[in-house]
Amino acid sequence: MLKRTKKDENNTPFSVGDTVEEKPTPSSLSPTVRQERDTSEEKTTIGERISIEGSIRGEANLVIEGAMKGTIEMGKHNFTIGPNGRVDGEIHAQDVSINGQFKGTIKALGKVAVTQKADFNGEIKAKSFSVEDGAYFKGVVELDRESHKNPAATETPRGPSSPETAKQSVTPPNDVKMEK
Amino acid sequence: MIFSTTRHRNNTDAESLPVGYNSTILKEFVNTLEGKKEAQTLDVGPVCQENITFFALRMSRHYVCDMFLRLKREKHKELHPGNRWKHLDYPDRNFDGIQLWDLCDHLEEEDVSRLVALCYSMLRATGLLMLIAFEKKPSSSIVNTFVIGQGYRVDIRPQPHLELPWNFRHNRALTSLLSNFTIVRSFRYHSGIREFLFKKPGGFRD
Repeated sequence: MLKRTKKDENNTPFSVGDTVEEKPTPSSLSPTVRQERDTSEEKTTIGERISIEGSIRGEANLVIEGAMKGTIEMGKHNFTIGPNGRVDGEIHAQDVSINGQFKGTIKALGKVAVTQKADFNGEIKAKSFSVEDGAYFKGVVELDRESHKNPAATETPRGPSSPETAKQSVTPPNDVKMEK
Repeated sequence: MIFSTTRHRNNTDAESLPVGYNSTILKEFVNTLEGKKEAQTLDVGPVCQENITFFALRMSRHYVCDMFLRLKREKHKELHPGNRWKHLDYPDRNFDGIQLWDLCDHLEEEDVSRLVALCYSMLRATGLLMLIAFEKKPSSSIVNTFVIGQGYRVDIRPQPHLELPWNFRHNRALTSLLSNFTIVRSFRYHSGIREFLFKKPGGFRD
């Protein structure tokens, strides 16, 4: 849901999340349903058939399923590129999830997640980062080292290689040095 | 120049994958680069969250360009070798370290030469190049990720979406291909994995 502010037409960004839909009162909903509704109400989606060139500022979580070229500033809100979404530009947000195509720069206060279907080409500055095997990724990653004070303790290999198979590992004393 | 490289010529007995080992070469690679100011590294893939996090927390800037997936996507295209490497479009003397993992195992001679020349250009003087080569043909042509864990342990995670041809090269063939570099260290593990650490010659870092 988008609403254009009434300032300068050329320079004023889109604002996301200003419009509030009429909704059931919280007392009429069970806690689970209410939570889901609350989450969905905070999310604005730009559909597949929409293309935007310019800048977007928002006070709600934003999902782009269409195409966007420009700057996206979501502050402490989350930003998602859907599986068919295409974004070319700069993203500032809390957490960022890339499921589609992205080219540009991401500055996240929290986590950046790149999923298997993503095609990523750009730069990431974030507190933490995840990428699924199979994603196409060409980029630079800079992580906030303060939030990873003991990095070795947090890195645990996943998948079939561990931890079960770790018991069968080849240990260093058996290794043969070939050349020096 | 004739290389003793043949696809599976003397190594046709498929072996099950070695399951993990503590990498001496990786430790030396990382320790050396951590001592450099604002070190920049390049990983040619396959994309692996653990490895990206590992290097991003230790290096000033960590670059990733997944050449394995690019090669897979372009496998059936008749590309000039030069086009295949256009994705590695980084400036000369940009990196202090490059992790090739086992990419050379999946390339023909001409492509390896092209890749090595690119790496030489992209590395700063005294920069390090780390590569891995299997001694015997893995049981499948599925590409593996070498996943970095605690204490420089490296585990292997198959990537079912990546299937590429495999080529065997003797140590001499590999070092011949990288003859512009100085070999720092190499190890052969009982699992059949060979690791090599090369250095770009030069008196001081560019």
